[in-house]
Amino acid sequence: MSFSNLQIHDIDLPNIETLVLKPISKSYFKIIALNKLAIYLGLFSLTFVIKFILVVKEDLEFNTSILATVLLIFCLVNFILSILAFKKQKYAIREQDVIYSKGLIVHTIITVPISRIQHVEESRSWLSQYLGLSTLKIFTAGEAGSDLNIKGLPHLEAKQIKQIISEKLNGRH
Amino acid sequence: MEDTNFSKPTRQSTKGIIVIFAFNTIKFVKRYAVLLLPFGVSLIQQKSFARITPLIMVLTLVCLVLVLLISAVLKYINFKFHLSQDDFYLASGIINKNVTVIPKSKIQNVYIKENFLQQLIQVVSLKIETAGDTISEIEINALDKPTALLLKKELYNKAHVQYEETIPKEKTEKHNVFFKVTAKRLLLEGLSQNHFKSFLLIILFIFGLYNEFKEFLEVLELEKQLNGFINLEKNDFLNHVITNVIIVIGVIFLSFLFSVVKTFIVNFNLEVVENSKAIEINKGLFNKLSLSLTPSRIQNLVITTNRVKQYLGLHSLAVKQAMSSAKQQRNFQIVALEKEQLSVLLSKLLPNYIREGNIEKPQPYFMLISALKIVVFSVLLNSLAVFLFGNVMLWINIIYMPLAILYVYYAYKKAYYIISQNFITVGSGVVDTVTNIIETHKIQGVILKQTVFQQRRNIASVVIITASKAVTIPYISKSKALFVYNFLLYKVESQKKDWM
Repeated sequence: MSFSNLQIHDIDLPNIETLVLKPISKSYFKIIALNKLAIYLGLFSLTFVIKFILVVKEDLEFNTSILATVLLIFCLVNFILSILAFKKQKYAIREQDVIYSKGLIVHTIITVPISRIQHVEESRSWLSQYLGLSTLKIFTAGEAGSDLNIKGLPHLEAKQIKQIISEKLNGRH
Repeated sequence: MEDTNFSKPTRQSTKGIIVIFAFNTIKFVKRYAVLLLPFGVSLIQQKSFARITPLIMVLTLVCLVLVLLISAVLKYINFKFHLSQDDFYLASGIINKNVTVIPKSKIQNVYIKENFLQQLIQVVSLKIETAGDTISEIEINALDKPTALLLKKELYNKAHVQYEETIPKEKTEKHNVFFKVTAKRLLLEGLSQNHFKSFLLIILFIFGLYNEFKEFLEVLELEKQLNGFINLEKNDFLNHVITNVIIVIGVIFLSFLFSVVKTFIVNFNLEVVENSKAIEINKGLFNKLSLSLTPSRIQNLVITTNRVKQYLGLHSLAVKQAMSSAKQQRNFQIVALEKEQLSVLLSKLLPNYIREGNIEKPQPYFMLISALKIVVFSVLLNSLAVFLFGNVMLWINIIYMPLAILYVYYAYKKAYYIISQNFITVGSGVVDTVTNIIETHKIQGVILKQTVFQQRRNIASVVIITASKAVTIPYISKSKALFVYNFLLYKVESQKKDWM
């Protein structure tokens, strides 16, 4: 049995840190914003409903205004956070693997070697169709954590990436 | 059944009717027990129920049993399986005919199981597990043992040709019983288990029972308490302490008993058999189980022991194969191994495994996080205790605080990782000492994780994902994390080895 145990130097390895990741399409933020707005609208209308139903009791008047203010602050903070989080969503595709990074408070960089990919899916909602975007779903055999879900890719690019991965996967066999 | 190569559609053993019948009856009773209950009660009381006389009731019952029996027979008749060169075929269904085809290469595992009834009538069930959805699992309920073993061999044989063409087929089947557990060691194993879990479980159980019967108890003891109230007041505190101590001792005893009984039932007659291609595990008291481990399918290994067990020479080895459900993963455990046996078994399952390389520790930040966790937990525990029992319960902190400090200390002490050429070894645990071993080419993906707070301290965690488990190397310096990340990716991508 031949066994080698050469030391591998840090510099020789392809480095993830020096890699320039590509941000996802800016127009995807429109979808995020629309979704967020819908949620905020729902929350606000809920407070209004509460106010109108319970308007008979006068002491509750005060509470609803406080609730509305808190809600407003929450929505603003949430929106700012989602802008910042949006900027963290980046991706890259190398010869051997696909990389996706996301998360503001907990930042994660996920890398999946192409040889471990089971299949690739591209999906589009009607809104993303209108904006020319699509979501690329990459499935592995691993635990749920290693499946990639890259949202907000330009449609053409998603198609290309899918093409590249499928070709590599087929070439493997 | 004489058809040894399974090329023609075969039925299971005729005893299968009994097994299917029993399974169906149990299923039926479970589903309609609520409906049957008033029926049964009035039957026992010999009264008519909704103008139905007992005679009619008995007749309906007989009819029901007949229907179940007939359906069992039909199911048996329509249940046929056979093997072709590459696939396993199964035809089933009475009215809706189903044909399931499983390519042998997709078979993950073949189990042989025996429950109590099956042991009585001497048949076994054979379960075929595939990667992918749970629907594609197949169970043949009743085969006599030689046939089952033969079928299992047959299924494995061809399934492996595609993967392990290089391995020459050995005609001589060696059945080398490598390890057999003794009752004494099982007892020790049960006693030396981590009792915290069963302790908590039993406390919750007793608490639940107490709440259920609280009202009942109160009614009974109301008078007694009223009489003794004045006398008791002086000794109240002492009484309280004594009662608590008795309860705690009782619960500890129960949790020991619980662990020992559980260990015995699950691991009864545990046996590790080594034959030419795979390693087989047989075990179980009521549900006998037999399964094969093939090195190429193993995704990761977990070795667990603790202080007491180490002293007694008890180690357990959990083997995780791809895509098996949580329930089956527990069955993969081999307990009560001596240290030498463990290392021999390890070398069988993971040839070339060497625990070499630098032992790296997480940053001291690790202790901060576990301390934080403990603080949150103790605040919760204290508020719960005060809420339920009043300020008296705060004395528990005297015991609890040193334990908390020990927790933080040991959690850090036992955390380490080793990255070598082909293996990753990650240690963790607090009471238990847990060692995770992963082969680098079994990695499915790698995640680098960093919170906002860790960014300033230059700390990150690496999560290594395999098909059966995600293992985390927690809180190491960012430069080391990046090195591990890059290195592991390099290993996976440069080796070009299949993960299964």
